[in-house]
Amino acid sequence: MSTKTETFFPLIPVWDIFIRVFHWSLVLAVSVAGLTGFLLGATWLDIHIWAGAAAGALIFARLVWGFLGSAYARFKNFVPGPATLRLHLNELRSGTAPRHIGHNPLGALMILGLIGTILALGLSGAVQLGGEFKTGPLAFLFSYDTARLMADLHGAFANILLTLVILHVAGALYESWRTRENLPKSMLTGQKQSRPGDHVTPQGHALPILASIAILGGLGLSLWGGVTLAARPGFGAAKPPVNAVYADECSACHMAFPPSLMPGENWTQLMQTLPDHFGEDASLGRTTTRELTDWLIANSADTVDTKPARVLARVDPANPIMLTKTPFWLATHDPIDDATFKRAPIYSRSNCAACHSDADSGAFYPGNIDIPAALKPETKTANN
Amino acid sequence: MIRKTRSQDALLLSVALVAGFFALIAAFSPANAGPKQDAVIAKLAAEAGVASFSAKNGEAFFQGTHTGGKPETTSCTTCHTKNPRAMGKTRVGKPIEPMAVSANPTRFIDPEKLAKWFRRNCNSVVGRECTTTEKGEILTYLSSI
Repeated sequence: MSTKTETFFPLIPVWDIFIRVFHWSLVLAVSVAGLTGFLLGATWLDIHIWAGAAAGALIFARLVWGFLGSAYARFKNFVPGPATLRLHLNELRSGTAPRHIGHNPLGALMILGLIGTILALGLSGAVQLGGEFKTGPLAFLFSYDTARLMADLHGAFANILLTLVILHVAGALYESWRTRENLPKSMLTGQKQSRPGDHVTPQGHALPILASIAILGGLGLSLWGGVTLAARPGFGAAKPPVNAVYADECSACHMAFPPSLMPGENWTQLMQTLPDHFGEDASLGRTTTRELTDWLIANSADTVDTKPARVLARVDPANPIMLTKTPFWLATHDPIDDATFKRAPIYSRSNCAACHSDADSGAFYPGNIDIPAALKPETKTANN
Repeated sequence: MIRKTRSQDALLLSVALVAGFFALIAAFSPANAGPKQDAVIAKLAAEAGVASFSAKNGEAFFQGTHTGGKPETTSCTTCHTKNPRAMGKTRVGKPIEPMAVSANPTRFIDPEKLAKWFRRNCNSVVGRECTTTEKGEILTYLSSI
């Protein structure tokens, strides 16, 4: 039956090549961002960010194309007014709604909703990235607390987008069934059937050269601006801790922990108890002890706004100088068992740098987690 | 042809003699320590009022298990391992350079470093400062192997 209708109605071009490439690229970018954000762990953060940035760039290009693209791509030809929307809803209810060759009024609302939500996700994500991890173009501007608020918003927007995507797919399938035309296929071929009584859009010419200049120019400008802003020091980011005596004395036995990982009060306590330092006498001369204590306080977690400083400041009251007993540390390292920590090349829970390649700076960016090859899950299973 | 072989023999013989001479000197030398370690040990000997220290006693202290210190570190070998010529490992896995002077000629030269680590490690292992005799014996042992 469908073969009969397809041969009966002539096919006309609707979705131009830009719209089609844009649509499926966005599907890919949003899928990767959604998969990494909802399901995969923090080590996927870099891929999540690149997918999000790609989605943002695609949306920017789509906005330009909405003004300079072909007839069915232009906002002025499909963004409905309230009257149009009401009429469409009434016609749907009475079963008399005509086919729309371009976006129908409800579909158009969905397009705007998707664009707005993805933009909101990109913006909230960039703020969260900047404030929480002190990286990216907005790192110089936002505090950790702002980032945590923004993280909640980012999550809410993600849930909204997931809902919209489900509704969008459902709407496309419903309209396909209602009008007996495979709409997802149209988004691949770009063509739709032309039938009597269709709502058509007056044809107009796309301005591909002007659009390309606007898109490439805008993206280039954003990239330049982003890179320039990202080079600025992060808001309350840890200064690279440099103290030759500290590095020399502490790294004689273990890694020199960045001072920004503990509040000054806890460092003072640690320095006062050096003669019994986790089962060893690590005492220093009186002058060295005083100088290092002062330096630790001056660079402690109290002086920065980084995530490690903030989350590790909540210590276990019974072990106030043990980073590895803090609730955050325990929660994030929970999947790793005792035997793994003892194995080469880690040897100890306190050896942050075995997996965190940026441990020395105190940044602990999730994208810099690099599990040693010897400890990949396959090896672990084989050894168990 | 024949003359050439004879001169080669003479050369080989003289090389062997010189090598043997040095081997003999090395065999009768009391320790592998350099003059700087010897000076440190001599200073301790003067302090303790003895002519020299027993390397055997030093070995017994270094290799033995002690009480009175911290339960995590009952022996020097906890971190330095039973073979002082090999690399050691701190309790969190960081490598420690060998203790034997033969494997690590820069050991025991810096008096400040020496004092710091004797103070810390004796307290960790035996729960008190080491005596001058104990220090001398340990250094003599680690300089002799």
